[in-house]
Amino acid sequence: MTSEFKPKIIAFLCNWCSYAGADKAGGQRLECSAEISIVRVMCSGRVDPQFILEAFRKGADGVLVLGCHPGDCHYRNGNIRAMRRMAVLEKLLVQFGIEKERFALDWVAAGESEKFQKISQSMTEAVTRLGPLKLKGYVTR
Amino acid sequence: MENSTDNKSEKTILFLCKCGTNIAGSIDFDRIKKWVKSYGGIDIIATGNLLCSPKEKEKFSQILRTKKPDQVIIAACTPKLHEKTFQELAEKEGVNPGRIRFANIREQCAWVVKDREKATEKAIHLIRAAIRRSRFSEDLFRKTMKVNTDILIIGGGIAGIQAARALARSGRKVYLVEREISIGGFLIKCEEVAPNMECAPCMLSPLLAEIRDSASIEVFAPAMVEEVVGFFGNFKARIRQRARYVENTCMACEECFEVCPVSVTSKYHHNLGNRKAVYTLFAGSVPGAAAIDRNACLHFKDGSCDACVAACPYQSINFEQEDSVKEVEVGAVIVATGFSSPDLSAYPELGYGAVENVLSTGDFERLASTNGPTEGEIKLKSGETPGSAVVIHCAGSLMQEGLPYCSTTCCTAALKVGELLRKQNSEARVVNIHGDLVFNKPGEQKFFEKQKEEGTIFIRSQDLKAIKITTADSGKILVEGKDFDRIESDMVVLASGMKPAKGTGALSELLNLSLDDLGYIVYDHEVLQQTRSSLDGIYLAGCALMTCNASTAVTQSVSASGDIMSRLVPGNEIELEMMTAVIDPELCSGCKLCISVCPFKAIVYNKEKKVSEVMEAICRGCGTCSAACPNGASTARNFTNHQILAEIGGLLK
Amino acid sequence: MSKPKVAVSWNSSCGGCDESIVDLEEKILDVAEAVEFVLWPCAMDFKYEQIEALPDEDITVSLINGAIQNTDQEHVVKLLRRKSKIVIAFGSCACYGGVPSLLNLKNLDDSFRVSYTNSPTVINEQGTVPSADSEDDGHALSLPSVYKSVRKLDDVIDVDYFLPGCPPTASMIASALTALLEGKLPERKSVLASNKSLCSSCSRNDSKPETVSIKNLVRIHEVKADPGLCFLAQGIICMGPATRDGCDYPCIKGNMPCTGCLGPFDRTDQGAKMTGTLGGLLEAGDEEAAKKMADGIVDPAGTFYRYSVAASLLGGKREGEENE
Repeated sequence: MTSEFKPKIIAFLCNWCSYAGADKAGGQRLECSAEISIVRVMCSGRVDPQFILEAFRKGADGVLVLGCHPGDCHYRNGNIRAMRRMAVLEKLLVQFGIEKERFALDWVAAGESEKFQKISQSMTEAVTRLGPLKLKGYVTR
Repeated sequence: MENSTDNKSEKTILFLCKCGTNIAGSIDFDRIKKWVKSYGGIDIIATGNLLCSPKEKEKFSQILRTKKPDQVIIAACTPKLHEKTFQELAEKEGVNPGRIRFANIREQCAWVVKDREKATEKAIHLIRAAIRRSRFSEDLFRKTMKVNTDILIIGGGIAGIQAARALARSGRKVYLVEREISIGGFLIKCEEVAPNMECAPCMLSPLLAEIRDSASIEVFAPAMVEEVVGFFGNFKARIRQRARYVENTCMACEECFEVCPVSVTSKYHHNLGNRKAVYTLFAGSVPGAAAIDRNACLHFKDGSCDACVAACPYQSINFEQEDSVKEVEVGAVIVATGFSSPDLSAYPELGYGAVENVLSTGDFERLASTNGPTEGEIKLKSGETPGSAVVIHCAGSLMQEGLPYCSTTCCTAALKVGELLRKQNSEARVVNIHGDLVFNKPGEQKFFEKQKEEGTIFIRSQDLKAIKITTADSGKILVEGKDFDRIESDMVVLASGMKPAKGTGALSELLNLSLDDLGYIVYDHEVLQQTRSSLDGIYLAGCALMTCNASTAVTQSVSASGDIMSRLVPGNEIELEMMTAVIDPELCSGCKLCISVCPFKAIVYNKEKKVSEVMEAICRGCGTCSAACPNGASTARNFTNHQILAEIGGLLK
Repeated sequence: MSKPKVAVSWNSSCGGCDESIVDLEEKILDVAEAVEFVLWPCAMDFKYEQIEALPDEDITVSLINGAIQNTDQEHVVKLLRRKSKIVIAFGSCACYGGVPSLLNLKNLDDSFRVSYTNSPTVINEQGTVPSADSEDDGHALSLPSVYKSVRKLDDVIDVDYFLPGCPPTASMIASALTALLEGKLPERKSVLASNKSLCSSCSRNDSKPETVSIKNLVRIHEVKADPGLCFLAQGIICMGPATRDGCDYPCIKGNMPCTGCLGPFDRTDQGAKMTGTLGGLLEAGDEEAAKKMADGIVDPAGTFYRYSVAASLLGGKREGEENE
C-alpha cells in the first residue's frame, strides 16, 4: 500500500434523513472526505444488496449505508428492513474476504451533519488503512 | 450487471450552475467542461451563474423549449432544494419530470471538499454518474385521484360524538365504531362535569339523540375495525359488528331484564353493581337496543333458558345472530379511542381492591351517577352514606412512578369528591392529600378555591410515596403518611391518571402508526398539526392523542373534523405520488415476499393472475419491495435498479 | 442426409449431468436414433483425435457440463467450440460454476490441503500435491495445470445457450433437445429456464401467508418440516424465491427446501438477491437482534451461492465485461 492510496467509497443515503444530514454538513461548510460518493435513495430499505456488491465489484473500497434512526423512518420501517438485510450481507461479505471495516450501516438524522462528517471521515480512515480491496474472484486472460 | 442501452439518438443538455461563487469558487468549471467534452454523451453544455434566479430560470425554459432535449442534467445544489422547481419548469416545456437529473455539486461537493483539485474531481464523478444514470431515465406520470369525503371514526366517546356530528352536518357520511354496546364513552358515566358541574347525561342526551336520528351517521356497536388500508382521500376499512343477539326492533322496554335470571357484576358500573345477561348500559343509550352478554347468558351456556324470548313483546331476541362485516370506503379516519385507567391494585400500599371502600375517581363517578349502580347515592359497601373521605392525588402516576407524566385532569376530578359528597351529606369531612396541584384553566382554579371555602381540607404532602392505606382497628380506613397525622376515614378516593386505551397498540399496528415511549400514537407536529397522525388522513383526537379533559377532547375532534372538511372537499382531486413502485406482471413470480415488506400494505396478491400488484394510490415509493424482489419484477420509479447501478458505475469509473 | 452430430463432454463435475441424460430413459433411444454421438466420454469410448479431425462447426451441438478448472478442460472445450455450431452450457457447473466454484471462497492451497493431506482417509507422507511439471526417474512429466479459481464455461469459450440445473431434469433436457432439433431455440445466449422464480410454480406457494415474518431460523435437519407449508413460513431457508423456475421442484416434493441449483435470474446475483429477499423477512427489532438472526444462517455464501459463486459479483470473473 502506498501513501497515495485514495479509497473509493460509495455511500447510499436515504432522502429524508441522511441525505438531508449530508446536505446540512455542506450548509455548515463542514469539511468531509472527498472520497465519499453519495447515491441518493428514497429509503435505506431501497438499498438492494446487489447495489453494494456491484459497488465493490466496480471498484469501491468501502460502502456505507445511512438511514433514518430507528423509529424515524419516513416510510415507517424501511430502515429496519435495511438493518436486517445488512446484518446478513455483512456475513456474506466476510465470507468473500471483504473486511468488516469496509462496510457500515449507520443512522444519520437530518440534523446530524456532524455525525455524517464523523462517519464519513472514520470510514475513509478505516478503508485507507486497509488499502485497496482485492476481490476473491478471478481475472480472465 | 448494468444493462447498457446507449441510445445515441438522445439529446442531453447539461446545465452547470456556478451558484455565484458558491460552486465556482471551489470547482474548476473549465476543467469540468473539458472533461465533459472528452467523455461525450452531452450535446449541449449551458453554464449559469445562478440557475434558480428568475432570469436564468426563464433561460432554462427557453433552452428546453428550443432544443427539446430528451435528458436534462443539472449540476448544481442539492435536488432536495430545487428538483421540484426544475421538474415543473421542464414539464411546462414538454420535458417529462423523470428526465431531470441533479448532480449535487454544491452541498455534497463544493461546500465540503476544501481542495479545489479534489472538489473538481469529485464533481466530475458526480456528473459522470448523472450522465450514466440519465441513460436509463423513464417518464414519470402525474396522477390525481378523486377523494372520498366520508369519514370513519373509531371510538364513540365525546370526541367521536362531536366529530361525527360536525362532519354529518356538513353532509359527510360518518361511520362511528364503538367497542362497547353503546356510545357515550366515559363522559356519560359521570354525573356532573367539573369545573362548572354541569349534568353530563343532560349535556349528552340530545347529542346521542342527534346521532341516533342522523341519516348520515351509521353507528356500529359493539364493533371493531379489523382492517384499514389506503391513503388520505381513499381508505378502505373493514368493520366487524359483533352480534348483539337482540335485533334493532328492540325498544329497550326492559321487560326482558325482569325475567333474566342471571346477574353479573357490571364492568360498566366499575364492578360496584350488577346487571342482567341481557342489558343496556343506561336508559336512552344509542344504539337503543339491548344486548345479550354471551358469556353470561344461560342459553349460550347450556341452553337452559330462553326467558327473554318469551318476555320480549317485539320478538327482538335472536340467539342466532352472527357478527357481520362491513367494508366501507372513507377519505379520512379519526381515532378517538379515549383512555384507560392504570391498575391501582398494582400498588398494594394504596389498598385498592384489598381495603373496602377504597375507590378510584372513576369508581366514585359511578357512585355519584344517577345512571350508576346506586342511582346516584354515594354509599359505602355497608349502604351507609360516608361521613368522611380522603382523596389521594397522583395515585398510580407520579406518586408511584407508575405513569411517568401528569395526566393534567385528575386534580380537578379529585375536587369533585368533596363537592358531590357534601351535596348528599353536608357534614361530610373531606381531605385531599396532594403533591403539586395542576389546574389548566382559571375556572378550575376557582373551583378549587370554592372547595377550600366549603370545607375540603387540602394537605400538601412532600412524599406521596410514603402513603399507606390499611384498615384501622375501628373498622374505618386508615391513611398514614410521612408528613401528616394519621387519618381515619369512611372512604378513600384515589385520583388516578389516564393512559392510552386498551388495544391502542393493536390499533396502531392495524393503522400503520407508531407509538411513542408512553404508548400514545405519534402525532405529526407538536404545534401545527397535533391532531394529525404521522400517516396522512389518519387523525387523532381526545385521549387517543394525549391525556386531556372532555373539553379539550371536543376541541381536538372538531378541529380534526374542520381540517378534514377543508381538505376533503367533494369534487376535488388529490395528487398522488409519482415515484411509486410498479410490478411487471410478465416477470412477477407471485412469491408474495414484497407484500411482507411493504410498510403501507400497498401490494396485493392477485390470485387469478398469480402475481402481486402495487396499489399505486397507496404506494409511497420507498422501494423496499424492489430491494426484496429477487428477479427485478418490482421497480421503484425514478430509482430503478438500472438507474442506481448506472449511477454506481458512473461514480466509480 | 446425415444425422445431426452431438458431443457430450464433462469437466469439473460429478457425473450427474451425464446421468441425467441417461435419465431420459426410453426417450434416449429416440435421441440416439435421431442423432449421432461423436463424443460422450462418460458413456462411450471416443478419441479426441476424431474430434480434431472433424471439419469446423461439424458438430450440431455440444452439451458441455462441469466447471472449468484446468488447462486440459480449457483445451477440450475450446476444441469443441471450434467444431460445434451450438454449444450448450449443460448443468449449473457449466452455467454458473456450480458446487466446484465454492472453491473461489477459499483458495487452491486450502483445497489441496483438504484433498491431498489433511483428509483423514489420505496417507500422503511426502505431501505430494498436483503440479503441472514433475520429474520421475529422470523423466519430465507435464500435466494440465490447475487454475487458482474455478470458472464457468462462458468465461473460457463463447456459449450459445445455458441449460442450468444440478443436474438439468430429464424434461428440461428433452425440451431443450426438441427445441434444438426443431430449430425452435430462443434468442442466442438465453438461459433455457424461466426468468421467474421457483415460487411461481411451487405447490406450496399458496400456503405462504400474506406476511412472512421469520422469528426463528431453523435448518432442515433440526425440525420435522410440515410437508404442505412454504419453507420460509416455517423459518427454513428455501432458495426458491431467488432461483429460476423450471425443475418441477423435485426437492420440495421430497420435503426438502430448494437449494438454488437453477441459479440466478438474468443480470442478478443470486446471493445478493437472496439477502435482499430473506433479510427483509427476518424478525429483528434492533441491530443486536438482527445480527443474532443473521448468525442463524450458518454459511450464507455457501447457502445462497451453492451453485453460482463463479457467476457472482464478488467471486466471479472480473474483467472484460464492463461496457466502459
